[in-house]
Amino acid sequence: MANPNMKFLVVDDFSTMRRIVRNLLKELGYSNVDEAEDGAIALSKLKAGGFDFVVSDWNMPNMDGLTMLQNIRSDPSIASLPVLMVTAEAKKENIIAAASAGANGYIVKPFTAATLDEKLAKIFEKLEKAGA
Amino acid sequence: MRTKASMHTEVIPTMTSQDEMLNRIGHVTRALHDSLRGLGLDKMLEQVAQEIPDARDRLNYVARMTEQAAERVLNATDEATPLQTDLATGAASLKTRWETTLTNPSLKSEYNLLANETIEFLTLTEKNTAATKALLMDIMMAQDFQDLTGQVIKKITSLAQDLEKQLVQVLVDFSPVANKKEDDSLLNGPQIDPNSKIDVVSNQEQVDDLLDSLGF
Repeated sequence: MANPNMKFLVVDDFSTMRRIVRNLLKELGYSNVDEAEDGAIALSKLKAGGFDFVVSDWNMPNMDGLTMLQNIRSDPSIASLPVLMVTAEAKKENIIAAASAGANGYIVKPFTAATLDEKLAKIFEKLEKAGA
Repeated sequence: MRTKASMHTEVIPTMTSQDEMLNRIGHVTRALHDSLRGLGLDKMLEQVAQEIPDARDRLNYVARMTEQAAERVLNATDEATPLQTDLATGAASLKTRWETTLTNPSLKSEYNLLANETIEFLTLTEKNTAATKALLMDIMMAQDFQDLTGQVIKKITSLAQDLEKQLVQVLVDFSPVANKKEDDSLLNGPQIDPNSKIDVVSNQEQVDDLLDSLGF
């Protein structure tokens, strides 16, 4: 497990899903979690600083998750933030688009606690390798 | 009609052939209008256009109700999980203390028996609270349907909205008057938005008040 104090931002327009992801993260040992209900709100929170990881939905009003991801990658101050997409968009072209925009992981809803755990571990492992 | 015509700008007709075309479109439209009326289709369109907002409200109602149910379940699991954690922690700590105390050989056997039974119970408590916590996690995860069904309902709602707009436009274009009739049957089901209707009660108090005023 990575640093348990790392700060997560959970982005989803459905409050039910934000709560589920928040609870799952807590269960995995990460209790420093903030929420945003669309990409625009998330982006302004991220730009204010202090976040270490983003878990985001795709289909949201105002700004969708992919646009948010592209904005993150094009802003040097937050470009290196790991972003895990958790979305009901399950078409291959979606997954490809997210990957080419620089997503670190992609989970299709509905998902299980084990899947989230596994994807997070994989991302941390890759980041560690890249950092070493 | 205008957009249709502009889509074919690459074929630039002479003024006369354009007039001719518009004239013919006018005739076709007129003929369509007359046959729709003749078949009674204008009434059907009117009815469909009136029913779509109702279907949309019902879908919104489903979305609202499932969200409320999901919230209630999540609130309950959020409250129950720390309760289970407290029980598990307390049981584990008591068990350790009993085990330490029992290593003192000067104590009576009766006392030892009771202590061992307590330890057994505390072990069961630890096991069951852990199992309950896992079940609570399952219950929490099961609420993800609300996000998924909610997204589907949102899509259908906007589809219905577009369809309604187009139908209303057809009605505006083809029929002079559209009279809306209120549904006055007694089978109106659960009221999805009681506050917007003056002839609908929104809580039990209002039901009782109404019965009261009628002398029941």
